[in-house]
Amino acid sequence: MSDHAVSLSAPSPSINADAWGPSGPKPRHVFSRRNIFLYGTLILVALYYLLPLYVMVVTSLKGMPEIRLGNIFSPPLEITFEPWVKAWSTACTGLNCDGLSRGFWNSVRITVPSVILSIAIASVNGYALANWRFKGADTFFIILIVGAFIPYQVMIYPIVIILREIGLYGSLSGLVIVHSIFGMPILTLLFRNYFTSMPEELFRAARVDGAGFWGIYLRIMLPMSLPIFVVAVILQVTGIWNDFLFGVVYTRPDTYPMTVQLNNIVNSVQGVKEYNVNMAATILTGLVPLVIYFISGRLFVRGIAAGAVKG
Amino acid sequence: MAEITSPSVSIQNLSLNYGAVSVLQTLNLDIAEGEFIVLLGPSGCGKSTLLNCIAGLLDISKGRIFIKGKNVTWEEPKDRGIGMVFQSYALYPQMTVEKNLSFGLRVAGVPKDEIAKRIARAAEILQIEPLLQRKPSALSGGQRQRVAIGRALVRDVDVFLFDEPLSNLDAKLRSELRVEIKLLHRKLQNTMIYVTHDQIEAMTLADRIAVMKGGVIQQLDAPQTIYNRPVNRFVAGFLGSPAMNFIEGQLEAGNAATFTADGVSIPLDRYEFDNDPGGGGKPCVFGIRPEHIAFGDAAKAMPFTAESAVEIVEPMGSDTLVWTKLGGRNFSFRVEAEKTLRTGDPVRIGFDPARASLFETSSGNRM
Repeated sequence: MSDHAVSLSAPSPSINADAWGPSGPKPRHVFSRRNIFLYGTLILVALYYLLPLYVMVVTSLKGMPEIRLGNIFSPPLEITFEPWVKAWSTACTGLNCDGLSRGFWNSVRITVPSVILSIAIASVNGYALANWRFKGADTFFIILIVGAFIPYQVMIYPIVIILREIGLYGSLSGLVIVHSIFGMPILTLLFRNYFTSMPEELFRAARVDGAGFWGIYLRIMLPMSLPIFVVAVILQVTGIWNDFLFGVVYTRPDTYPMTVQLNNIVNSVQGVKEYNVNMAATILTGLVPLVIYFISGRLFVRGIAAGAVKG
Repeated sequence: MAEITSPSVSIQNLSLNYGAVSVLQTLNLDIAEGEFIVLLGPSGCGKSTLLNCIAGLLDISKGRIFIKGKNVTWEEPKDRGIGMVFQSYALYPQMTVEKNLSFGLRVAGVPKDEIAKRIARAAEILQIEPLLQRKPSALSGGQRQRVAIGRALVRDVDVFLFDEPLSNLDAKLRSELRVEIKLLHRKLQNTMIYVTHDQIEAMTLADRIAVMKGGVIQQLDAPQTIYNRPVNRFVAGFLGSPAMNFIEGQLEAGNAATFTADGVSIPLDRYEFDNDPGGGGKPCVFGIRPEHIAFGDAAKAMPFTAESAVEIVEPMGSDTLVWTKLGGRNFSFRVEAEKTLRTGDPVRIGFDPARASLFETSSGNRM
């Protein structure tokens, strides 16, 4: 150490030893009252939320005789996957006895096109509203947002009539259109806010460079907006996959989505209540949104933060 | 200054309103071929707005814009023959430097070998060849701004527009790039329009400065003229750092016009009036720059001298700013850094009223 450095750390004679006080990092106690309270609460809340899932998984792995013993929290004595197989391929809903598999594929055929269609349209909407301030843009935006607050129930019957008139009632494509339209307000808001938060000068630079409406959208904006697209995909996949109301109203038994089928299995009044099959069917139905969350959780948080801050 | 025969950029009676708010008011500006014009003013004066109007990024309410003799009032930005450099660089983050430079050319469908040629030329001029394959996020601020200039350069345009291009850089880089922009202008001989609120940039770069306030060009002239003969009090106060000293008082007419205020009487026989000052007793403002004030022995030779006491001393490295009182007003002057003055020291100051500016109190205009 040089003299200079030493002189910096040496005590100045005018300061007595008591005034030395704390230095360096503040000590942290693992079992401080604050930590116990904080982590205790977190663990408690986590348990509270995980308990139902635990019961579901455990029950779905038990046979019916074991379930009748009534110990819902105890782990299975004999693990069996039969309820899962039954829920997927042989459980009866109405006239069909091919399990949830039919509903699963129906849901896929509803969700995928709806998600793609709604996001494609909403992102262009949001981009146009954020960057091309056309005449009446604000009015248009307000009308769109008001749409998000109108209760679905009000529109169900009119849409039945519309779909019937254009010959799409009961078909999957009819439901796809309905989902796409209902996703529009919130998705447009999401995309508009995201694009608004992007630097205005970027858009201007692209205009000086000669790119037009679609050029800027496809070559500048789109590559920069992965986070918000992930958010939109998650919102739409979970929303559409979990939808029950539109599914039951606008499709026929052949084309019921998974949620409707699940309801029909769980709420069947005839025969024995097969709790294990019900649990397995419920988990199967919830699996898709769950997987989506796990894959894209971090991007989701980032995108929500990016899109939500600016109004 | 180059005589304006066929202006490179000509703005005629341009107005811009947002609803009831008028941002630019019947503005006229002719810019000669190869001229470097700086639009200078405080924030909100409409200088960036004017630039965006020239670029075609804002629709104007009234008037016409000509570039190279062509009426471009209703043209798209890309068809105006302009290249623009933005304050935030505005580089496309997902593209490499090379793709950033070539984006406009690719959009326009320029052949590949031509694109390569132009990028090579721009990269050489700006010395960014080693950076071509990098993403903007891997560049420093100065490099980013160089790329942004390159993007305007490859487009082979007649007019360059700069929108506060150096404001995001630190002081050292700013002065380096300032020199580079000046060299670039000398090399390319393009018309350049440059918006800034930094008076040093304006003074050093401009052939002519347009000082703006409230959407109106206050004065359009060579930097030295604006500095020495500001047309009104706003221009006088805006340019110059440290700022010009102002003393409020009145004009006494007579054989020899005199400015009087609070025990000070400054003879104005050497002052060049723009127009006849008229009758006496007119309230006016006397302005003189701190660097035009002599001090100590040098002051004795000046037509006007006064005694005062030092109030505050501000050493600034290269020189020192000394505050005192004159005519009841705070009054500053510059001395060499070597002079050691302390608060309370008596000082003798003097100046030549020929270097001063006199403004009418009511209108603020130069007299």
